[in-house]
Amino acid sequence: MIELQGVSKVYRVGPVKVTALADVSFGVEKGEFTVLAGPSGSGKTTLLRLLYRDELPTEGEIRVAGFGVTGLRRSKIPQLRRAVGVVFQDAKLLPGRNVYDNVAFVLRVLGTPRRDITPRVMQTLKAVGLSARAQALPAQLSQGEQQRAALARALVKEPSLLLADEPTGNLDEGMGEEILDLLREIWSRGTTILLATHRATLANQLKRRTLVLDGGRLLKDEG
Amino acid sequence: MLAFLIGEAFRNLRRGGRVAVSAVLLITLSLAALGAFWVLSLNIGSAVVQWRDRLRVVLYLREEPPAGEVEGLLRKIEGVGGIQRLRYVSKAEALQTLRRQLGGQAGVVAELPSNPLPPSVEVTPAPEASTPEGTRALIQRLSALAEVEEVQGGTEWVERLAQWQGLLQAIGLALGAVLALAAILTATTATTLVLHARREELEIMRLVGASEMVIRLPLFLQGLAQGLMGAAVALGGLYFVYRLALPTLEPLLSLTLGLSRATFFTPTEIALLLGGGGLLGALGGLAAKGGRPA
Repeated sequence: MIELQGVSKVYRVGPVKVTALADVSFGVEKGEFTVLAGPSGSGKTTLLRLLYRDELPTEGEIRVAGFGVTGLRRSKIPQLRRAVGVVFQDAKLLPGRNVYDNVAFVLRVLGTPRRDITPRVMQTLKAVGLSARAQALPAQLSQGEQQRAALARALVKEPSLLLADEPTGNLDEGMGEEILDLLREIWSRGTTILLATHRATLANQLKRRTLVLDGGRLLKDEG
Repeated sequence: MLAFLIGEAFRNLRRGGRVAVSAVLLITLSLAALGAFWVLSLNIGSAVVQWRDRLRVVLYLREEPPAGEVEGLLRKIEGVGGIQRLRYVSKAEALQTLRRQLGGQAGVVAELPSNPLPPSVEVTPAPEASTPEGTRALIQRLSALAEVEEVQGGTEWVERLAQWQGLLQAIGLALGAVLALAAILTATTATTLVLHARREELEIMRLVGASEMVIRLPLFLQGLAQGLMGAAVALGGLYFVYRLALPTLEPLLSLTLGLSRATFFTPTEIALLLGGGGLLGALGGLAAKGGRPA
């Protein structure tokens, strides 16, 4: 599902070169739940952005869900992104639209037939436990609920890969636990998950394969 | 999908607020200016065509030829060249025409001791002699004939009218072009503001895999809608002014240009103006920059 070969990413800030990733190689099989652990600034977010082609690597080859990301033509990027769901630390919900519309928006922009939208949105909201909050605006939701809505938005297009960038970062322990349970449930239904977190305890708690990044280098591949 | 894209375009228009309204107003102004000059030019153009068709050169003869010599005289005149048609008007026929023109006052003609009107020949120049230079040369050749007392006619004023028409067209186009450029820039600004207001939405659209077409099409449609609205308002305004001015304008046109009625745009010209408005707005929508492409 994911394959990285000798991937490096260097940012230039004026004359200064900042290495975000250095010679990273690993693979993730279809159906795996993998944790990408490391302290803040270790390169986790950069790596995720390379996977959904928000950034290009300075060196190396990346394949995601059957797409050669490095040489992917601009016109093909939407196809890659339809196969990949992304959730962030902040839910990034559209404030003027209610939960239903935030999720339905994805299907609308992807050209899903109108008759299929409501059943798919409601089914996804049910899966994340938000059916009863479909008409609520983001500001009326708790942070845990906002993250559930963001998950619903990522999942409604039925991606084969879910990239979660610190999805529990803004949540207290209880709410974080709920989101992790939800991720496990999503994974159990066949979605490949790559979860980035800076919490070492979370990685231990999940008891899944863990890739440890530090200073842009892959230090460990455990489990 | 199309319903969604059109819906998004109208949401954008509402979000555009005052800038979107300004864009519509500028498109209205540019097309109203262009349209006003166009209507004027159309009417002057009709007058030019009409007067070119009616162009006659009249030869006043020194004395009335005997009936048997009229044919010969006409052949002699035709022999100077550059003549399409000619018609002899006898003194009696000229008097008859005068009576008809005087209508109720025709009685004064009866009081004349004798017929004072000269015999004449009405000459219609051939197309190649209808230019100002051609007519001038024809008049010179006709004046040289011994039987001819005086020659009247010419195309100078018709050509001056045609020059005015050209000038009006040029002013209309120049003014329209300047205002059109301003309209495109305003439509671009309106769309760019919408792009900034929607940057979170665009980010999500790109993140979930929406194609650039789906992202850009509502902006194009927004511009198109602004342009069509502007053109429709401009046409409505012009038609209103035309109807309002018609009672005053028509007698004036009849008196000065000899036009029986003032014309407005044909359906094809209306479609052209609407299309022009749509194009201005759509160009503005397409030229908008903002949001980070994938």
